[in-house]
Amino acid sequence: MRPLLHIPDGFLAPQVALALWVATAVVIGIALRRIGQRGPAAASQTILMGLSGSFIFAAQMFNFPVAAGTSGHLLGGVLAGFLLGPWAGSVVMATVIGIQALLFQDGGLLALGANIFNMGVIGTLGGTLVARGIAATLGGTRRATLLGVGVAAWLSVMAAAGFTTLQLGLSGTTDISIGLPAMLGTHVLIGLGEALISVSAISFIAVSAPEIFAKSAPTAPASPRRRVAAGLIITAATVGLASLFASTSPDGLEKVATDLGFINTSQAAPFELFADYSIPGFDGVAGTALAGVIGVLVVLLVIVLLNRLASARKGS
Amino acid sequence: MLQRSSQRDARGAIVAALLTILGIALLPAGSYVVYALVWLAVATAGAASGYAPLTLARRGLIALPFTLAALPLIFIRGDELIWSGALGPAQLSISGAGLRIFLTAAVKSWISVQVGTILVRRYPIESIVGSLRALKLPDAIATGAGLTVRYVELLRGEASRMLRARSARSASPVGETRERIGGTIPWRAKVTGNLAGALFLRAYARAGRVEEAATARGASGSLSLGSLIQPDARLFMKVALAIGAFVAITAAGALLPRI
Repeated sequence: MRPLLHIPDGFLAPQVALALWVATAVVIGIALRRIGQRGPAAASQTILMGLSGSFIFAAQMFNFPVAAGTSGHLLGGVLAGFLLGPWAGSVVMATVIGIQALLFQDGGLLALGANIFNMGVIGTLGGTLVARGIAATLGGTRRATLLGVGVAAWLSVMAAAGFTTLQLGLSGTTDISIGLPAMLGTHVLIGLGEALISVSAISFIAVSAPEIFAKSAPTAPASPRRRVAAGLIITAATVGLASLFASTSPDGLEKVATDLGFINTSQAAPFELFADYSIPGFDGVAGTALAGVIGVLVVLLVIVLLNRLASARKGS
Repeated sequence: MLQRSSQRDARGAIVAALLTILGIALLPAGSYVVYALVWLAVATAGAASGYAPLTLARRGLIALPFTLAALPLIFIRGDELIWSGALGPAQLSISGAGLRIFLTAAVKSWISVQVGTILVRRYPIESIVGSLRALKLPDAIATGAGLTVRYVELLRGEASRMLRARSARSASPVGETRERIGGTIPWRAKVTGNLAGALFLRAYARAGRVEEAATARGASGSLSLGSLIQPDARLFMKVALAIGAFVAITAAGALLPRI
């Protein structure tokens, strides 16, 4: 089972493909400028990036059997980003994805901007920042770093799959309400394989070459404010993604009430804000996901207010 | 003097390939006559490059798995119904509009893959990287791509040897297939991750040696790997032809009938 993330030509509307080319060029341009600012070290960084590109190609040969006929593969975005830095990692992945498109026709040339955006920018740059953010939030220990890499590797695959589907939906070549759950459902396991391999690889490097690991891992824990912000983003993203898989069937009590015929005796709530997890103006999956994110924000607000109240009482 | 294949200027071909693929992408849905004409032109260019049309057509099927993404449109769009009925317990309907979008995406990707295939057939990847550098691809990417291409086979060889060693050290129980060798799934993932980690360390060490060798030879700053050595004298003519082909494809898409 290989990820379906390399969009071929013909599936994206030209305006979507060109917009993503522009977005990718801007981000990769920033990445190149950041790498260039390293001065003389930039040349050795470029050599390491080139060899890392070969490494990603070769490491994609590694797989492990998961179940009958399926196997886990490495994409390597978060792994490259974590070991080389998010900017250099995204340039390496852009190079690898470009060579895959040119040499193996794995992904289109017009769609190359979209493919680099999904896997190199969102998957690698975003994934590495998430990995570092989680590691710093949890105290910057080795265990926290490995946890961060694992979560980020899984998320990078899921996010790339989600963005791929959204772009296909915008181009009119898929139906988002069907395509998104199908793509995310398929990539849940692929992402798990990516996470397991990435964590094991980093763990191996941490033991075998601690100096390389030390250069990559965050050294100081994040401030409490950044921890709260990181926690909020992770929770909102998780709830937003999980709500895509929410069942539309009635819950246990509703089912029993329907079966036994007393569902009609229930009384309506005195007020309705987001009845049945729906938001006016947002139909279906998007409304449910947004309702989940709003729920997270409301819970956070309540916790912050209670915390302030408790602090004020303690002070007085 | 004959040019080495890795020195050939591929700029005209790259521009032509990109404009052709852009032209195909801009074709309206259902322009099957134009798709057929474009494919004939691509197959002719393929034959001129030594690619048999059927081999080229088979190569184009590489993007076929991705058509799954567009498949549901055939059944979920309710417009232009061409069939509706029961298939066992399920009610199914086939939408003409959905079928048109599906076929359009599939055919466009099929032809576009063939265009890319011809480009790589005519020009080796080193030549393409050098030409991209001449087309102002940033130095860090061009040098990185040049190094990636140069060392990919070496590291793939390393990876193959590591995989062979893994197989040699894994005993297969009687009655079990090789797919089932080893412990739990996390254990297998850990072993695979260890292989990836070990391979990265080898790549890291190799990068150090490459840098030392480059420094010893007097290199400083950019390695300028993947440079174009001899520019094509007929570049402007090729680019003009590519633009002409793009205009012809888009004009045919606008003028010829759709189904």
